[in-house]
Amino acid sequence: MKLPVIAAFAFSLIVPLAQASDVSEAAARAAVQKLIKSTKIEAFEMSPVPGYYQAVVGSQLLYVSEDGRYILQGTLYDANAKLDLTAKRLASVNVAKLDAYPASKRITFAPKSKPKYKVTVFTDIDCGYCRKMHSHIAEYNDRGIEVDYLFFPRSGPNTPSFAKAVSVWCAKDQKQAFTAAKTGANPEPLQCDNPIAEEYQLGISVGVDGTPAVFAQDGSKIGGYLTPDQLEAQLERVAAEKPGA
Amino acid sequence: MRHLLSLILIFVAVNAAAATPEETVQAAFSKLAPQVKVDVVQESVIPGFYEAIIGSQFIYVSKDGRFVLDGSAIDANSQRDITEAARAKNRMASLKKITPDKRIIFAPANAKYAVTVFTDLDCPFCRRFHQQIEAYNAAGIAVEYVFMPLDIHPGADKKAEAVWCAIDRKQAFTAAMNGADPGTGTCANPVAETTRIAQSIGITGTPTMLAADGSKVAPQIALSPDKLIVELEHLANNPVASR
Repeated sequence: MKLPVIAAFAFSLIVPLAQASDVSEAAARAAVQKLIKSTKIEAFEMSPVPGYYQAVVGSQLLYVSEDGRYILQGTLYDANAKLDLTAKRLASVNVAKLDAYPASKRITFAPKSKPKYKVTVFTDIDCGYCRKMHSHIAEYNDRGIEVDYLFFPRSGPNTPSFAKAVSVWCAKDQKQAFTAAKTGANPEPLQCDNPIAEEYQLGISVGVDGTPAVFAQDGSKIGGYLTPDQLEAQLERVAAEKPGA
Repeated sequence: MRHLLSLILIFVAVNAAAATPEETVQAAFSKLAPQVKVDVVQESVIPGFYEAIIGSQFIYVSKDGRFVLDGSAIDANSQRDITEAARAKNRMASLKKITPDKRIIFAPANAKYAVTVFTDLDCPFCRRFHQQIEAYNAAGIAVEYVFMPLDIHPGADKKAEAVWCAIDRKQAFTAAMNGADPGTGTCANPVAETTRIAQSIGITGTPTMLAADGSKVAPQIALSPDKLIVELEHLANNPVASR
């Protein structure tokens, strides 16, 4: 007897709330759309902060008050959990994009035995820290880290760096040509079907703004140039965070 | 049992209420970045958040101390940057210390708007800006110059002083902006003081333009009289949300 009463009462509470929430979600969403004009909202959902929605827009996250009046952009931290919540959410957006990119289009340097960790590294033949990073490739592999390279010629299409990336991709022995180019050799100019433009676009869509850009398997961006010690430490940190996420 | 629970709840509530905004905010930072010292904590227009000022940085902290947002807020109604407006308000106090007698003012008869421009006689964009001074005045904009000679231009501070000390200050200013050597006049002058104030509000380059409300005007707008008048009208007609 008691139960249906409570249920009915609860129901009467829930319904108006749900309606109110639908109205405010539409208003909040409209406010974000007005601000970003024709850019697409990829996801719109409750944020961890009470009273705020969050919108995934490109490689960015916007927070919006539920009345649509205030829109915040920046990095949101949870002080109690000491977590960068913005990076966490963006990582989950990026991981889908990165996972969808096939191994056949990557230049992979893998350890001999089964890797403990995999990283995706956006790289540019003509970037000093990318070259420095690649000089440690044997040591990354020795520590059980597989490095999957994607090209991100910072100067963009129709530039010498872009042409070098194409030449390396089209070489008979890609890995050998890659390593040679990373030590300063000018690759023999070659042309063929290649994924460089696609990789460059993928980089932009996951928020690459410089090279090298290192992504862990959960899609979080963990560097910049990282020494083998630093890379290993970052990967251990990400692995430790995972269960709570 | 029930009483005990409500007692505990009351106790928790009272305890929570006892924390001042300063304590709540400092506690949040002590977990995330213990070395950070918060200068000021104030109410914010952003619902549920305080505004913490650290040096010239503004950071939002949720009132329960759990969430910290390092970024900027936009008022969707006016499409204006609230965080920049808050910084602008802070800049205003310093700007007021630069009284009209410490500025070189080029104003039309019935000015609609006044802007403050931090300037350096040896900076190419400052010179380009001053070449258009008549167009700014014709558009109804009073330009109030404040000297901020940069270290990267050795001797610019001496030139500023010489211009300041000239018999016809405005004429000497325009001549120096056109490349004439103002010589080496000396007298009591505000150049060092205005430079110090500019640095204290985070101004690092010249020309830097501040509107009457203290907000920074983007260089590509400041350098175009046509764009500037549109921007100043927009700023005047779309006041940012305030507490």
